[in-house]
Amino acid sequence: MTEGANGALLLDVEELEAGYDDVQILWGISLKVKAGTMTTLVGANGAGKTTTLRAITGAIRPMGGRVTFGGEDVTRLSTHAKAARGLVLVPEGRQLYPDMTVEENLEMGAYAARARKRYDDHLEKVYALFPRLKERRRQRAGTFSGGEQQMLAIARGLMSDPRILIIDELSLGLAPVVVQQLVVTLKSLKEEGTTILLVEQNVHLALALSDYTYVIAEGHSFTEGPSSEVAAKPEVRQAYLGL
Amino acid sequence: MIGILASVVDGVLVGAVYGLAAMGLTLIWGVMNVINLSHGAIIVLGMFVVYFLTGATGVSAYVGIPVVVVVGFVAGIIIYWMSVNRVIGRPILMSLLATFSLNMIIIGLATAAWTTSPYNVPVSLPGITVQNYTFTGTHIMAAIIAGAIAGILYLFLHYTRPGKAIRAVASNRDAAELNGIPTRQVLAMAFGLGVALACVSGALIATLFPFTVLSGGAYQLKSFVVTVLGGLGNPAGALLGGIALGMVEGLATPFTPVSWTPIIEFGLFVLTLIAFPRGIFAFTKA
Repeated sequence: MTEGANGALLLDVEELEAGYDDVQILWGISLKVKAGTMTTLVGANGAGKTTTLRAITGAIRPMGGRVTFGGEDVTRLSTHAKAARGLVLVPEGRQLYPDMTVEENLEMGAYAARARKRYDDHLEKVYALFPRLKERRRQRAGTFSGGEQQMLAIARGLMSDPRILIIDELSLGLAPVVVQQLVVTLKSLKEEGTTILLVEQNVHLALALSDYTYVIAEGHSFTEGPSSEVAAKPEVRQAYLGL
Repeated sequence: MIGILASVVDGVLVGAVYGLAAMGLTLIWGVMNVINLSHGAIIVLGMFVVYFLTGATGVSAYVGIPVVVVVGFVAGIIIYWMSVNRVIGRPILMSLLATFSLNMIIIGLATAAWTTSPYNVPVSLPGITVQNYTFTGTHIMAAIIAGAIAGILYLFLHYTRPGKAIRAVASNRDAAELNGIPTRQVLAMAFGLGVALACVSGALIATLFPFTVLSGGAYQLKSFVVTVLGGLGNPAGALLGGIALGMVEGLATPFTPVSWTPIIEFGLFVLTLIAFPRGIFAFTKA
């Protein structure tokens, strides 16, 4: 899952504009993710975080701007074609297949040809990361608690052999102790060299975890920088950290 | 008493074929939320495929079944890309109109080609006689084939990658796209399967009863009753629903004129909708 050249530009989003029907929501979002780093995208509710991800993955068609992934212009590709290239999103609300078993959910994560080739390796790795999933691999995903579902969603994302793993709202609706477990998992993934783009409403958590942070507001880029610097900015402290 | 029992058993045999037809309808609904109003016309296509196949080659209708499956599957994929793909995710009226117009096109062309006079597929199979009652060989064979195909469908959906992809797409299409599943292709495959099931049921019905170009309507209506009994979108329920409908018909025939059958069926349809709006066999949802 590691990218060859660490620090090389992997995902480059330039001046992205998008929306729904005639309501434009994004007015020029730009962000860059370097291989092997953890980047976060934060912003208030309604700032356009999820819309940004939907436009990047192709769930909605961008009205303007460009998405380059691994040097290839992927702006107009379908969502499944992007996933097959390793641009993988773990969506908000998990979006599991509730009537299918854990292992079937994981198998669907590895549907694309590139991921399928390494199915056994990935399955072993994912089960090592989340032993509870292995214990319950024949159980239906719909019977799981929220935390277990988030584990399965991340595991399913990892099965896709991601070159970048984008996680939308990691902590939303989960108990603090569960969030802590997931944070530990993300840190270990990062140490292995997995490139992660985290979208998080918990700004404290996002700033503490990541290397680099983008803040968006009302569909525009607001500020950006190394996470420790962004955390120190007065306007960010005031608007997002309540300090 | 034994006469009524025999009639019910025969109803079960024929009902398995109704179940197979309904499975095609319910699979398409379950995966892509499209009510296929060309279902009846497609059943008729299956009838004519087996008619011309046996007529031209002289093989048994049962040997022709795999051919019917292939023809149905290919026809379904063509229909999907020509018509259904454009209305996926649009308001339900769009897909109703699209498939209804397809229904009119197929019936119109078929009437022009084959007129509306009756046809039949000659099949001779020895029946099984119990005391004074003989169960027709064709009915037994049709039920066996219907059951086998239902079993194969179940195994396909649960134990093969493309089958699991169909279930994933039915469950959550956005998530399936994010997993790298080309969902439009999967929808096309599911539609092809649904049409293949309808065609095979048509081929089996052709071995039981005479038929015309216009026979599809009655079987389409039966399919609706069956899917409502079995729970819309639930292939396993469809088979049970079909058998239940067959039993009801079998129970009714010794006591009522044949012309009453539709009244009983639709009475059942309405009662089921009132009492079990999610289907009687909804609990078996796979």
